[in-house]
Amino acid sequence: MIRLERKFASLKENSKKALVAYLVAGDPDISTTLELMHQFVLSGVDIIELGVPFTDPIAEGPIIQAAHDRALQANTSLDMIFSLVEEFRSKDSETPVILMGYINTFLANSKALESIHERGTDAVLIVDVPGESSLEDIGIQNKNIASISLISPTTDNDRIQKICMSSSGFIYYVTLRGVTGASNLNEDEIQKNILNIRNSTNLPVLAGFGIKTASDARALSQISDGVVIGSVLVEMIQELSEKKDYKKIYNYLNEISAAINP
Amino acid sequence: MDNLRDLPNSDGFFGNYGGKFVPETLMFALKELEDTYDQLKSDPDFLKQIDQDLCHFVGRPSPLYFADRLTKHYDGPNIWLKREDLNHTGAHKINNTVGQILLAKAMGKKRIIAETGAGQHGVATATVAARLGLECHIYMGAADVQRQSLNVYRIKLLGAEVHAVDSGTATLKDALNEAMRDWVTNIDDTYYIIGSVTGPHPYPMIVRDFNSIVGRELRDQSIEHFNAFPEAIIACVGGGSNAMGIFYPFVSDPEVQLIGVEAAGSGIETGKHAAPLNDGHPGILHGAKSYLMQDENGQVIDTHSVSAGLDYPGVGPEHSNLKDSGRAIYLAVNDKEALDAFHMVTRLEGIMPALETAHAFAALDHLSGKFNKKDNIVINVSGRGDKDINTVATMDGISLD
Repeated sequence: MIRLERKFASLKENSKKALVAYLVAGDPDISTTLELMHQFVLSGVDIIELGVPFTDPIAEGPIIQAAHDRALQANTSLDMIFSLVEEFRSKDSETPVILMGYINTFLANSKALESIHERGTDAVLIVDVPGESSLEDIGIQNKNIASISLISPTTDNDRIQKICMSSSGFIYYVTLRGVTGASNLNEDEIQKNILNIRNSTNLPVLAGFGIKTASDARALSQISDGVVIGSVLVEMIQELSEKKDYKKIYNYLNEISAAINP
Repeated sequence: MDNLRDLPNSDGFFGNYGGKFVPETLMFALKELEDTYDQLKSDPDFLKQIDQDLCHFVGRPSPLYFADRLTKHYDGPNIWLKREDLNHTGAHKINNTVGQILLAKAMGKKRIIAETGAGQHGVATATVAARLGLECHIYMGAADVQRQSLNVYRIKLLGAEVHAVDSGTATLKDALNEAMRDWVTNIDDTYYIIGSVTGPHPYPMIVRDFNSIVGRELRDQSIEHFNAFPEAIIACVGGGSNAMGIFYPFVSDPEVQLIGVEAAGSGIETGKHAAPLNDGHPGILHGAKSYLMQDENGQVIDTHSVSAGLDYPGVGPEHSNLKDSGRAIYLAVNDKEALDAFHMVTRLEGIMPALETAHAFAALDHLSGKFNKKDNIVINVSGRGDKDINTVATMDGISLD
């Protein structure tokens, strides 16, 4: 959690926006994920969001679903992901790492979750747990990790307040009605809703779901504290995994980074 | 026991089970549905409309029929059949869809979506959507599209679009995933008619309430026919809507044994089955906490059953609570037992049950000696078997081409 706070403080000091990159842990395998995490940081990524694969990821579009399937094919377990983060920390002690997944896999490993911050994880984002629940409510005993929640275009003011109360780290604003990787962004609505969320919290508000191009990222970063890029990266990982040459992704990330912090 | 009837609580929990575990975008729609249902469930006009539809469109009440030859065959208790197979569209599923489509209408939704396994819920949804002239999309696992091709064609004839789902195991759970994704995307104008007592609150309650007409009728009919409540009620359980519908009105009558029957597929011991209450652990799938077929990492396990309608790794949360409380017991019968029962009931009674329903009949073999000859037991004939003749022929090694 401390890493997240430090990161946002330093971004703020330098008047910069956050670039969060999502990839599915274990797609196509754990060692590639580790390499990509380090390279992402070198390409301008501020925060890494690791997808925890699940058999039934109902909030994901087809691109990320397929990545979950590939990671499960490679027998990726949550425990392997905790170790992956630990290994990442041996070379990078500063970049915050968030685990994003579904409640059933976390509950099956609730014991191991008690020590994940010592193993380098900073926050969890559990997609199918209502945002007003605390981690404790759902059986995760760990006061040292942040609990990041989603707020969507359909969240009413009453819920926004409750969710902000029980969230830490940052607020993840879902920019569209739909699954990850969809493409129906409505900038005016996003701006209005983010301003509204800021009435309830001092936490940074990041925008994600459906951000693909540098111009999407730029436009949304101007009305938020940063952007989350997911499906585009996951699609490129899939496309490039055969030749194991991921330079195209690093170039893309550099381009996004430059677009949001010109 | 009385409090079992008052569940779920205001958070949607039946004891430890149930709840609302969904992506944030759906929370608003669930609240909207909850509020609408809360308002309408005691509205005289709404209830009158449902009663009329159930009577004149569905053909209720369904008979309670004495299975004379089946009773003689087992030489045990009197076996009665609650004939949900005689409903319009051929199964209990229509009881729920006639109710939910009225909720959709009251909420001003223009577009209807649903998931289906065996296709019966898809047919029942496409039917009520056609009747009201609403756009309708049915999600169905690609494997089920194959094995339930007759129902797929029926759904199309009714004007609905069938979306074959290739992801995951290409069965009912994947159809549910895809329907939820559609719902998240089209949340403003779309009503999702869930077909079983599964999913996030308030669905398990709503689907149970609409199906409870079956148990309510049975209360009157059993008094009329044998002047007592039955000794036991037997129903198959996939998600568990036909079972919940016939169990619920008897939950506070402890003298009535409630017996659910899950699909043991190739056998519980093989691990290839669809019996979470017999061989699963509590977990969270599709918005609710309930018994679930899962591995030690919390990944959902592939299920196996000859019956597409029971081929589901989860079960309605209220069943999980009935199991833990001891109010209901849950048996499991395998594919072969179900197929044998299908043939037996067809030949002895002239009633061809759905393969799902055949599981409830197959449980009779497991219950011999448990009842006296003067006892009356009721089997919920949840649906008819016309849709399954291709599957049965294949299993019997017969080609229909």
